[in-house]
Amino acid sequence: MDIQAEALLDQAATQLMMGEQADTVAALAALGEVMQSPEALELAAELRGLVESGWDDAEKQGRVQRGLDRLRTMLSAVDGQAVPAQSSALNQDPELVGDFVLEAREHLQTVESGLLVLEKEPSNPDVLNAVFRSFHTIKGLAGFLEFGAIQALAHEVETILDLARTGQLLMTPRLIDLTLESSDYVGQEVHRIEAQLRGEAASAPTDGTALLKRVRGVIAGEEMAASPIESKPVAVAEAAAVEATVVEATKSEVAVAAVEVGSTVKAKTRVAAADTQAIRVDTAKLDYLLDMVGEMVIAESMVRLDPELAGNKNPKLQRNLNQLRRVTEEVQKVAMATRLIPVGTLFQRVNRLVRDTSRKAGKMAEVELVGEDTQLDKTIIEELSDPIMHMVRNSIDHGIERPEERRESGKPESGTIQLKAYRQADHIQIEIADDGRGLNQAKILSKARERGVIAENAQLAESEIFQLIFEPGFSTADKVTDISGRGVGMDVVKKQIQKLRGKIDIHSTPGKGTTFYLKLPMTLAIVEGLVVGVGRERLILPIFSVHEMFRPAEGQVSTVQGRGEMVMVRNQLLPLIRLHRSLGLRARNEIPEETLLIVAETEGRRFVLMVDEFIGKQEVVIKSLGESLRNTRGIAGGAILGDGRVGLILDLAAIYSERNAKAVVLRESVLVAC
Amino acid sequence: MATPSVNTASAGAAVIAAAARTKEERAGKYLAFHLGPEEFGIQVLKVREIMGIQEITAVPHTPLHTKGVINLRGKVIPVVDLRLKFSMEEAEYTQRTCIIVTEVGGENGTMLIGAVVDGVSEVLNLSAADIEDTPDFGGEVATSGLLGMAKVKGKVKILLDIDHVMTHQDLKELGQLLH
Repeated sequence: MDIQAEALLDQAATQLMMGEQADTVAALAALGEVMQSPEALELAAELRGLVESGWDDAEKQGRVQRGLDRLRTMLSAVDGQAVPAQSSALNQDPELVGDFVLEAREHLQTVESGLLVLEKEPSNPDVLNAVFRSFHTIKGLAGFLEFGAIQALAHEVETILDLARTGQLLMTPRLIDLTLESSDYVGQEVHRIEAQLRGEAASAPTDGTALLKRVRGVIAGEEMAASPIESKPVAVAEAAAVEATVVEATKSEVAVAAVEVGSTVKAKTRVAAADTQAIRVDTAKLDYLLDMVGEMVIAESMVRLDPELAGNKNPKLQRNLNQLRRVTEEVQKVAMATRLIPVGTLFQRVNRLVRDTSRKAGKMAEVELVGEDTQLDKTIIEELSDPIMHMVRNSIDHGIERPEERRESGKPESGTIQLKAYRQADHIQIEIADDGRGLNQAKILSKARERGVIAENAQLAESEIFQLIFEPGFSTADKVTDISGRGVGMDVVKKQIQKLRGKIDIHSTPGKGTTFYLKLPMTLAIVEGLVVGVGRERLILPIFSVHEMFRPAEGQVSTVQGRGEMVMVRNQLLPLIRLHRSLGLRARNEIPEETLLIVAETEGRRFVLMVDEFIGKQEVVIKSLGESLRNTRGIAGGAILGDGRVGLILDLAAIYSERNAKAVVLRESVLVAC
Repeated sequence: MATPSVNTASAGAAVIAAAARTKEERAGKYLAFHLGPEEFGIQVLKVREIMGIQEITAVPHTPLHTKGVINLRGKVIPVVDLRLKFSMEEAEYTQRTCIIVTEVGGENGTMLIGAVVDGVSEVLNLSAADIEDTPDFGGEVATSGLLGMAKVKGKVKILLDIDHVMTHQDLKELGQLLH
């Protein structure tokens, strides 16, 4: 801060305390001359006016005092904003900044979920305290690391929350919006800092001055008429009830809401308690641990299967070997579980989304979360975020009807979006259900015909009709809103889910609602693989895309003109891909009857792969082939097989589409030849 | 008006300092290996480990010099045959054939790449005076990928900039130099 301004500020504050009106005015006037920011100038002039206009009033003195405080933070904030990117801590202490990013994220999450509770229960002291503390911590850390903009804003928001905490201010929806906006701003800044930390080009800091001004306005009691509480708790409760249910809330509904809020708050504290027993580990370290455990499993099996040891009948040795195997398996299981995190972190974000989106769309919707403890791989949860957000947005925009429409059809005015996660066998199922109007089959069909997605006279089963909404460029919304309806999205959602090796299904009943079913693997790190031999190489096919395998009878493989080789499987003609040809390997055998055929499916299309032999079924840990080979066509990655060698995992979708591309070229060349 | 002139002066100094530093930086320990009759050296700091030749899993649709991938204690890493990379004649792998696992700069931090060489011989301690700048081979021969030349016991060793060699596809010119 400017030293001169600081000295003058001190002077003004002292004079004010001593009750020297004239000197205070003089100090403020001098202060006005040394300050540059118009905002600060304005404030100083205003304070001068206040002091000049009268003096004895204790309340007025308080206001001047507060004004001076604000002036002080404003000056330090100006400092911070003048050098926003050059926080020396970024260069000097990247680790500390990294910790700050993580910690700030956690606190922002607390803030966000806390504010959503406050929306229904504006004066819940526990939640108010929690949110206040989070902002306080963020402010402290930001100040320490010299992130001026964050510090200044967090400080002001903290003041609001403090007022609310001490009962001088009621958290009205507008105030909550403002606080949410502030937390978003801090979130953006934190994101920017993180990007800088990774050495990416620094994007320009978002300008937070407007927001800061609005927050300050609230504290000064301007702009937003913050309703002071007249020491009547009943009035507060009433106000809360009106806010929570917006229109004609019956007493019982309020009670239900309160109970629900209570339970979520309880869940929060439990989660928080669990957090304290966790330690943060660098993911690189974790990945290394997993690599090593994988190696240990391989080494163990090599030792156990060694012919010399297998021939040894010493019971003690056998017992010890068995013990080693059990321990190894256990270690592997635990190591794999370290990457799993509860899906609740993802679900929490839906709360906020539903709140914002439904308000924007003029609808009412509540969120119901089931199975937040279900565990999924961290990467999957991260990648799942966008698709789920998109589907929820769609459910609100297209699914849930307007309140009046819902009332007419005898439904409660407020719609429900239910997110449910549970484990089913070796995969995780996530359901996203709304109780809206359901999908309109006729409309989807006519749209599909209009867009040329399906033929005029195509007959489709119900499930096939629903799948049409995943086609690119498909949207049945009559008008495009800024929430959804542009027809970009559902196809991306499906692609994303498939990338995660998952499946997506829809069930829908007109008037009752729509449910999306996502079926996902628990982890991306492991895949159940079918190991096959082609030439000298061993290749791995993901087992979820394999239907069956068989040795063909004579004449089962035939060549269809213009379409290449086809195989008749259960009365269906499927295209044949000789794997060695598409991978450029030398096969042991070219005669179909002496090879093995595998029926596989990707993206809803079936085809047959020709390989030399079947070697076995194995759970393999998927590994990247490294930066230089990462984008190799037809190869999804590598895996370390039982003998320590690397096997390649096939990307069947790429292999199939390449075959198609070749077929097209072939057809064209035939045409040219004719 | 004084400021810009000061800036240029300091910038000039920086350039000189950088040149001096590279010369200093090139000094140090080098791992010597050979491909056929040619002797090479790479900075020891770039070498993670040396292992005997082992079975390499071929990866389809990759350049000829990429032999495939191997398992390095749980990590899958690509392996490049340096002979093929420099357009030299391919040779049968023998007992002496080695894979030098190098750590080179990639898009996101460092990455490990194995280099197949005919054999490694020794670790050289080269002072700045031992190292000469790459001579000008004439217009067609590009010298990026080379750190310089070192004369050790009457033999010339080619010092490779392994980061450049591993991350650039086209090294034909370098190959020409070796023929």
